[in-house]
Amino acid sequence: MTTALFSEDQRDALQELTNIGMGQAGASVAAVLGEFVQLSVPRILVLKPSLIPPALERIVGPEKVTAVRQGFHGDLRGEAVVVYGVAHCRELADLMGYDEVPDEATEHELLLDVSNVLIGACLGGLAEQISAEMGFSAPSLMATEVEVGSLLDVSRMDSPCALFVEVNFSLEKRSFACHLIMLLPEDQILVLRDAIDRFLASL
Amino acid sequence: MASTVLVVDDSAMARKMLIRSLPATWDVEVRQATNGLEALAAYRQGDVDLMFLDLTMPEMDGFQVLETLRAEGLNCLVVVVSADIQPEAQERVKRLGAIAFVKKPVDPEKLGGVLREYGVAL
Repeated sequence: MTTALFSEDQRDALQELTNIGMGQAGASVAAVLGEFVQLSVPRILVLKPSLIPPALERIVGPEKVTAVRQGFHGDLRGEAVVVYGVAHCRELADLMGYDEVPDEATEHELLLDVSNVLIGACLGGLAEQISAEMGFSAPSLMATEVEVGSLLDVSRMDSPCALFVEVNFSLEKRSFACHLIMLLPEDQILVLRDAIDRFLASL
Repeated sequence: MASTVLVVDDSAMARKMLIRSLPATWDVEVRQATNGLEALAAYRQGDVDLMFLDLTMPEMDGFQVLETLRAEGLNCLVVVVSADIQPEAQERVKRLGAIAFVKKPVDPEKLGGVLREYGVAL
């Protein structure tokens, strides 16, 4: 694990900028779910691809997960992944007011909708502050009920390292929680770092 | 004697942004704390007049700081400055004794308006 691509000031700035995006995402999902969302301090890591699965396991724990991915492009290019423990996927339907257990297609649709809200608000909030233009691809279901360690095929990553930004959302009165991970390859880390430098210089 | 202001945030950049947003003519001594525990330690020294308090922090978050301050008999003004913009968060901090909620990123004009409203800055 290393954050050597960022100075302490750059890492602190990225964490705070992410915090602001996270706050917007938390408010959005609170409005959708009608529940108070507990936020925690975002975590910024630069990891070798092989260290990403254990980092995910640390966040999610041993349970199986379902995940939604959504690519982003423009001034910054990468992928955001929202990871849900399997039990939490089922709770989502209840939170959204379904009286009965929904069919699989409906459950997946809910996951896509909530993930889209989270990613759009969180990354949109971050992009706005660093004056980055960003577009999003449609969210897609990445995997259902898989071991968290096998969620990402890191052997296909051709970057020597990736930025791993971890944002956790949980509900105060319910056990529901999900985790938003933003992954950027090394060349995009450098783009982001330059944008952070411009932001810091503007203060 | 100048008033003492305590800026509480785990982010150095956020503290810097807030301090730069304070009215330029405001004669205050600014102190800083990086988490809730540090904030309480500074508060208990007894000379903090106004606290700018972040909510999402390690060690002890802003809600816990407010609860502790209230339990100890809140003796300073608290303005919460946070990215947690849920309406429920804003209502909670007011119930816990904060005089105002200012969302991040801080708008200096809005912050100045809040300070003027409560008569703590010209």
